[in-house]
Amino acid sequence: MSAAADPLELVRTRRILVCVGTGGVGKTTLAASLALEGARLGRRSAVLTIDPARRLADALGVRELGNQPTQLPRERLAALGVPAEGSLSALMLDMKRTFDDLVARFADSEAARERILGNRIYQHVSDALAGSAEYSAMEKVFELSERDDLDLIVVDTPPSQHALDFLDAPRRLLEFLDSRLVHVLLHPAFAAGRVGFRVFQRGTERVLRVIERISGMAFLEDISEFLLAFEGMSEGFRERARRVEARLTGQEAAFVLAAGPARVSVRHALELLERLGTAGVPLAGVVVNRVHRWPGPGPTPDCVPEPGCEAAAQAALAAALAEPGLDASAAARAALAAADGYAAWVRADAEATAELTARVERAGGFVRRVPELAGDVHDLEGLLRVAEWLFEAQEAA
Amino acid sequence: MDPSWTKPGSFARFRSRSEPDVPASLLDRRLVIVTGKGGTGKSTVAAALALAAATAGRRVLVAEVGPDEHVPPLLRPAGGLVERVGYEGRELRKGLRAMRIDPYEALAEYLSLQIGLRGILRRVLANRAFRQLMDASPGWRELITLGKIWHLESLREAGGTPRFDLIVVDAPATGHGLTFLDVPRVVGSAVRAGPLRRHAGWVESLIRDPERTLLLPVSLAEELPARETTELVERLRDHVAIAVDRVVVNAATEAPFPRGAEDLDARLARLPAELAIPGAPPPAALAACAAHLRARWALNRRWIGEIAAATRLPVVVLPRLPRGVRGPEELAQLAERLLAPGVSGAAA
Repeated sequence: MSAAADPLELVRTRRILVCVGTGGVGKTTLAASLALEGARLGRRSAVLTIDPARRLADALGVRELGNQPTQLPRERLAALGVPAEGSLSALMLDMKRTFDDLVARFADSEAARERILGNRIYQHVSDALAGSAEYSAMEKVFELSERDDLDLIVVDTPPSQHALDFLDAPRRLLEFLDSRLVHVLLHPAFAAGRVGFRVFQRGTERVLRVIERISGMAFLEDISEFLLAFEGMSEGFRERARRVEARLTGQEAAFVLAAGPARVSVRHALELLERLGTAGVPLAGVVVNRVHRWPGPGPTPDCVPEPGCEAAAQAALAAALAEPGLDASAAARAALAAADGYAAWVRADAEATAELTARVERAGGFVRRVPELAGDVHDLEGLLRVAEWLFEAQEAA
Repeated sequence: MDPSWTKPGSFARFRSRSEPDVPASLLDRRLVIVTGKGGTGKSTVAAALALAAATAGRRVLVAEVGPDEHVPPLLRPAGGLVERVGYEGRELRKGLRAMRIDPYEALAEYLSLQIGLRGILRRVLANRAFRQLMDASPGWRELITLGKIWHLESLREAGGTPRFDLIVVDAPATGHGLTFLDVPRVVGSAVRAGPLRRHAGWVESLIRDPERTLLLPVSLAEELPARETTELVERLRDHVAIAVDRVVVNAATEAPFPRGAEDLDARLARLPAELAIPGAPPPAALAACAAHLRARWALNRRWIGEIAAATRLPVVVLPRLPRGVRGPEELAQLAERLLAPGVSGAAA
């Protein structure tokens, strides 16, 4: 990580930006804002989303799952300040198809391809079960980064607490493919169900016995058949998983952590930060979304009105608000309570995010706070409003 | 523990005393699986429900699924230390136990119950190849976790009363949440025979039993969580067939201004900029705060309505608390609303 990398530097120079964070913290919005800024700087950028809000998906033109990036119309982009050489594409990941495409790419024959796609283990592995979202997102990023018509790929990782599975996916696949157990299961006699466990080393033999006791021999045979079908392409997979990992942890990629200001969300972000550190992932910085900002003037008050001024403040405000048919003192109370409550949110956000931002700053990362903008961000103009906060230098909170 | 709780029939006494609310009280189930998009306050709702049940005299277990412990810090007494509860679990207060289900620990327990070969088992579990196979294999974590929950549900005291009256599960975020619950069925179709298939069947019949098990989706009144919640309910109805009878909307802003002053922010904005209000910020700042509050309220109201309309389920609205949820005191406020008999539809 180059210490000086701020969001603007990232979108200007990097090739892959990965937005990580738990769900519901504005990760998709962050990813789309980064990609749009890249386009505004004249780069050909693409945003890969996993689970966008419908209106944002509409705005990006990716209402349906699709596995190829769709470019936003030139006129639309020009209105947003994207120069002629820049462009913005978006796609919404189709996990199942990404996986199937991968099999098609590496299968050494039509027959092998069909055998894998039809294997019941494969269907369950690739279809519903957890983990494939992460793997296919990873795979798609790599595929996009191989293309020479895109300069910047911004990816929104799967929404969950499992954000790090995304990073682990290729390594886990590699370890699995390299494991002795797989080699055992690849034994052709095994698939035919005619091999005694005794031919294997003791450790492996024990493992197989346990699995057999629990799942039955048929399950092992299905796995074995799957792995056999897979074997022809496993070298390709392995090579690819290695390259994916190298690319995502290399110089041309950067990770940005998205967080919300609520205490629970900050706690999740801290946990994620810790695990990123353990995994050796270079984190460029954190973006705290939807932070409450005190509308000023002056610093955030501890309470509104100040102690001792309650009656006077209420009276002055009620007098100013007075109007026939209006309960002016109730209105004044509500107005002061609204300000008091809002100030409490501002203070709570600052308090909750203090540790997170301090830790990221200590590690040399950037910190950006995006205020809660009125309403949801659901169009490209909204992304520009977010961008103002991402890319301009900020005063201390 | 209150010894009266080990007597048969005491559970029924509580049942008959409870309000005849529609839908039936959350406390009448054996298993409530709390799920929702990340950031909606799933763990908070799980903790509030567990606290409410314990306060009502039930013996409750709250089980978290996932790498981190979010529930115990919420349930600790003010100033109390947060100790990890782990797989063994810990009694956090009278009648309320918390645990975190770690899949490898659950696997070890399951295998020792099934096979009993402890010596061999230890070596197998420590075997690198075995770990690699398990790390790469999808599905088993979910299955073994649900299996553990099934086992906890089946625990009985000497007299035959359940060990726990209510088990609250803080399930993974919905993306993974439904996958999580669907795994027993998937395993049933992927594994052709053997104990694994049989046990998956047991687990499946528990989670699909509407008398015993309820899924409690938690949402926020905002677009993304609302949409995900709606999709969750649709998928539950169409595919997964797990009972769901209400939606919880968490952290909703309540009607902010008195009747007749609904446009308070606009009224404040019209005041002269130089108006001095003792000890308070100028009118423009007051107007900005009021406008923010009104916008949030309107947004929340809109999405509560959309959730109610799209799911055709009652919506339980929990208020956004001014200082957030820090511990049992705030949880108790939420718990009261969570169990209130009058479940609102599209809240006004």
